[in-house]
Amino acid sequence: MRSRAFYITGGILLGICVTAFIMSLVCLPYDPNATDASAKLVAPCASHIFGTDNFGRDVFSRVLSASKYTIFISFAGIAIALVLGVATGLPAGYFGGFTDKSIMLFNNSIMCFPGILLALVAVAVFGASMFNVIWALGLVFAPTFARVCRAGTMEIKERGYILHARVTGVKPVRIMAAHILPNLLPQLLPATVIGLANMTLFESGMSYLGLGVQPPDASFGKMLADSQSYLMTSPWLLVFPSLMLIFYILGLYFLSEGLRVSLSSGGAM
Amino acid sequence: MNTRHTHLVKVHDLSIAFPGVRNPDPVPVVKNIEFGIRDGEILGLIGNSGSGKTMTAMAIAGLLPDSARIISGRISFAGENLLTMNRRRRRMMLGSDIGVIFQEPSTALDPLCKVGKSLDEILECHGNKDRADRRAKILAILSMVGFTDPEDIYIRYPHQLSGGQRQRVLIAGAALLSPKLLICDEPTSSLDTVTTVAILALLKDICHRLHMTVLFISHDLSAVRNFCDRVIVMRGGEIVDRDSAEEMLSHPHSGYTAELLTNARLDPRTLGLTRASVDYSSSPILTARHLAARYDNSAKTVLSDINLDIYPHEILGLIGSSGCGKTTLSKTVLGLIPHTGSITCTGGRIGAVFQDPVSCLNPAHSVMWHLKEPLIAARKRMSSRDMKIRIEKALTDVGLGSEYLTRLPSALSGGQRQRVAIAMCLILEPFVIMADEPFSSLDASSASEILKLLTRINREKGTSIVLITHNIHIVRQICPRVIVMDRGSVCEEGLTSEVLQNPQSEALCNLLNAERRLHGDNH
Repeated sequence: MRSRAFYITGGILLGICVTAFIMSLVCLPYDPNATDASAKLVAPCASHIFGTDNFGRDVFSRVLSASKYTIFISFAGIAIALVLGVATGLPAGYFGGFTDKSIMLFNNSIMCFPGILLALVAVAVFGASMFNVIWALGLVFAPTFARVCRAGTMEIKERGYILHARVTGVKPVRIMAAHILPNLLPQLLPATVIGLANMTLFESGMSYLGLGVQPPDASFGKMLADSQSYLMTSPWLLVFPSLMLIFYILGLYFLSEGLRVSLSSGGAM
Repeated sequence: MNTRHTHLVKVHDLSIAFPGVRNPDPVPVVKNIEFGIRDGEILGLIGNSGSGKTMTAMAIAGLLPDSARIISGRISFAGENLLTMNRRRRRMMLGSDIGVIFQEPSTALDPLCKVGKSLDEILECHGNKDRADRRAKILAILSMVGFTDPEDIYIRYPHQLSGGQRQRVLIAGAALLSPKLLICDEPTSSLDTVTTVAILALLKDICHRLHMTVLFISHDLSAVRNFCDRVIVMRGGEIVDRDSAEEMLSHPHSGYTAELLTNARLDPRTLGLTRASVDYSSSPILTARHLAARYDNSAKTVLSDINLDIYPHEILGLIGSSGCGKTTLSKTVLGLIPHTGSITCTGGRIGAVFQDPVSCLNPAHSVMWHLKEPLIAARKRMSSRDMKIRIEKALTDVGLGSEYLTRLPSALSGGQRQRVAIAMCLILEPFVIMADEPFSSLDASSASEILKLLTRINREKGTSIVLITHNIHIVRQICPRVIVMDRGSVCEEGLTSEVLQNPQSEALCNLLNAERRLHGDNH
């Protein structure tokens, strides 16, 4: 029953973000990058429901457009992190010994540094672009998933059904993929959703510092940075992107909490 | 003598059910049962898994799961109705008036608490504020449950104790406040024979000294016979039989009790078991020489210098107390543990059946997937139709219908899971099956079915079986040859009749003594 409340709240919040994502693809009211010198800093009204910014760009269209980039970056980044994390964590946990030590040495050395710092360095060295942000974030987040996979695998590999599979001659790769991985989902799913939320925060932070999505394309971090100068006079520049960011991250947290409760109580999702 | 017949606990018309959201009117799991526990007696409660024994006991202790509802009846304890009592008063009764010992000693103790702290908490909760007095009481009870150095046990963590020692600590915890009633929920089912006998003797002694009344739940009928004064038999939530232990177990009133007794004896004659005949002059199909193994990061050798021969068509018994290396030996032969020494086999595959039917199947996949997997792994080239036929045949061989193919392990009982595990092993037609205590965690009826199945496989397919077990009686009846292990090495080996007649090693003498004390000489 508790998990249901989490799902409903998370579903509503994420529903708003997904609607924004779909609208950004099919029906934007204005070109998000088109400037209009005659309509600078217009307060929310009938023609610009979220108002306009200092270049006269429609904030509503820019919020929709930013949600597109944010959702795309977080999903693409988490996919890279998951693939890398699972591909390194499973063998580390399953084989143990030298394989485990060397993989975890590499993972731990990445985790020694603050994640945002590593991502910033990577983007600063290889250039600020959306694709560099995606792989940098993927690389920074991978060790977390590797740890989750490794710990779960170490526990599951001692269970009877894995011994059975080994006795019947199933190859290690298949044991990891078909026997162990499906049983790791209860740990991996909530971790993935939380990872999405954290990755969004990282991406916004990087954009805020100017190292994420590059202007004139919209991103929440950049929009918040730009709104600072107009905080008192045009608060809508801050409010609407912040709200959207809050909805997305809070929605993901609620979803992960719901998943955690329903998976840990053994109930169906 | 007068107090002997006053009832400490009286259960009147008790029914328990699990109502759900979708099923507000469920079938009760305990149906209108009535019984009393006399002051000072030891009452046994027996029945197969799911017969409602544990639910009945937990209702008395007030520890029913949240989803369970008592739909009718009353339980009186020393004249007070437990079901109408307020929660606080009921909670205070736990420990001081009603003690409980659970089945699994490995999970019943907090792994982060030292023994002393775990026990100290019990006394503190019940109002003893004097630290020195608490410590003295704990040391006294620890020595009462048979620890020769209670000071040492006081500062140990649960993982530093063996299963038997943990169970002693739990008994000490339950007896610490000298409760009037002690509920024992299968306290010996996860222990080996030697430890079981010791724990039962201890329980009996403690109960006598502290004048405790005991409700003893078990599916081990030998334990019940030796330990209890009176026995109640439950089936499907109802009481089907009740009498004094000796009378009931020698002259059962109901057919069900008789069947339970027959199954519990696992007697090959009554079960109609016949095995394949063995020719020991032929050459062995599996030979192991100078096997030694140790676990990672451990200097301790768990197996040392083991020689093993397995002959065609034989059922080889492998016995020994817990921790003697039986399971390690089977895993080593299966190639699951790195080892030194040589293993030569002339046949094809070695199959395995493990002890725990809960963990032997992957919860994420159906029965069909489990049976397909060995075929895929063995790269058997066959059409999907042939594969299906073969899978269905393997399932029929173990006595399950094709309707089980789509089921997930969670929808199977312990016995059915063990059958699926055997089918997974049979589908590749192994020449040897390593069966590691395949029935020790099943109830008597399922265990006898699995035993029948294994002997049938041996008889009809000629598969050799290495049977690892605690049950010497089964070994005596169906294994022509036996190996006795102690501390990681073979201490006796030979024809079962000779080895068990003239035990040479201390380990085997202990096993046989425990067997005699637990089961009597009726076997």
